[in-house]
Amino acid sequence: MESNNDLPSLFISYYSKFTDKDLSLVSFERVFGGASRETFRILVKDEVGSEEKLILRRTQESSLIETSQSTEYLAYSAYQGTLVPVPAMIDINEDEETLGAPFMLMQQLDGIAASPFTPDAYSPHEEELGEQFWSILGEIAKKDINDDFINQFDNATEDPCWKKELDKWVEVIKEDSLSIEPILDAGIRKLYEKPPKDPNKTSLVHGDYRNGNFLFKENKITGILDWEMAHIGDPLEDLGWALSPIWSWQDRNKPAYLIDRQASLSIWEGSSGLTIDNNDLKWWELFACVKGMAIWISAGNEFKTGKNVDPINLFSPWIPGDIHLEIILDILEGDLNET
Amino acid sequence: MKPEINIALMNAAQEILTRFSPLIEDEYEQSRLNSWGALILISAMKFNQSYSSLVKENNNIINWLTKTKQIYSKELLREIDQIQVEEGLEQSILDEQNQLLRAILVKAHKEVDSMDDIDVKKDCLKLLREMHSHRKVSDLIGLLQPADS
Repeated sequence: MESNNDLPSLFISYYSKFTDKDLSLVSFERVFGGASRETFRILVKDEVGSEEKLILRRTQESSLIETSQSTEYLAYSAYQGTLVPVPAMIDINEDEETLGAPFMLMQQLDGIAASPFTPDAYSPHEEELGEQFWSILGEIAKKDINDDFINQFDNATEDPCWKKELDKWVEVIKEDSLSIEPILDAGIRKLYEKPPKDPNKTSLVHGDYRNGNFLFKENKITGILDWEMAHIGDPLEDLGWALSPIWSWQDRNKPAYLIDRQASLSIWEGSSGLTIDNNDLKWWELFACVKGMAIWISAGNEFKTGKNVDPINLFSPWIPGDIHLEIILDILEGDLNET
Repeated sequence: MKPEINIALMNAAQEILTRFSPLIEDEYEQSRLNSWGALILISAMKFNQSYSSLVKENNNIINWLTKTKQIYSKELLREIDQIQVEEGLEQSILDEQNQLLRAILVKAHKEVDSMDDIDVKKDCLKLLREMHSHRKVSDLIGLLQPADS
């Protein structure tokens, strides 16, 4: 793979050819964006001085989650021109010669992304953003998908949605665990013991829908990002992930640091046209912790084995990993107290 | 008397997070530095406790397994009986012992889960909560506001 030092010149050469214009680079900076691609924010200028803002997502040699680039592209493409705001796609390239690794290019949307760990990130617009956040998630779930579309995703098996996803993440945990974690084991056992019903309607699941993964400008959500874990599955999966207390750890009554849980669920039901089964949602909320743990464990493994020594890979298993274990314990204790 | 190294590390972490990091304009490099600041803070806070926490956790597991051993299968009982308690172990040996004990605890919890005894189930979760509290850093998230990604 080309080093990041060569990337700006490779990029401008590629994009000038792609657009058949004489372009120059105004800025080229790396930003955090998703677990499996390097993300760059780029500004280019043509011969008459018109500027264009772009986002480049390039596959990393080593990434937390092995995901197909085409899956992400497909997901972005599926929601063009809908109520789900997504950036317009410009190109997808699977070869390694052009920029040293497969990449996707898209237009940059207005707005900023907040950290999922900052409680007042959306102040004073929590109400309006909350309404949109849960409503957009409902729109994602509502989208009708046909068999042709489903077949383009590589997770099509006969297994129920819950099992496909749980097996996948448990496998990651088995492969990457550096130590034995009894709380996580107990959570996994609980999930296999009492699975949810298969949904009446399968949906395109975003896979990482949460605060931090959307762009906003004042009181408006301008883009839903990071679709790299998109797959076909149970719409409650996204809901369980977005509701996870890890994303509102310092104010657990307001999921995603937006609005209260009951209001969030009502908006989602209204927008998706689906009815939530509380027991099934509970299962997906515990699943969210196990999936989170798989991601944090995988990050720790990347660091420890020297495959990717980005400090975020060391940070992840510490604090986010610790939080998810605590949530698993809370759920297990809550269940036991109910019996 | 020299200042304690963990106090020095805590100060270093605070300087990184509050003084140096805001000076970096590159968003990605700033995030990396923040992550390091957070990790230095965690290691400073856990510096003095890691050995004693491990000893305490191992003792808690052994005590709990011993206290409840009449409820387990013969195979598990054999494993529990083979646990040897040694004192003054090096940290690396203590770590290995901890992993062995955790593996036995997972098996024990699995057997407990298959029983109808709510009290022993609650007791097992209480032990897990206690173990988690020895390593808990989740409450640091508030201290590390600039240090997330």
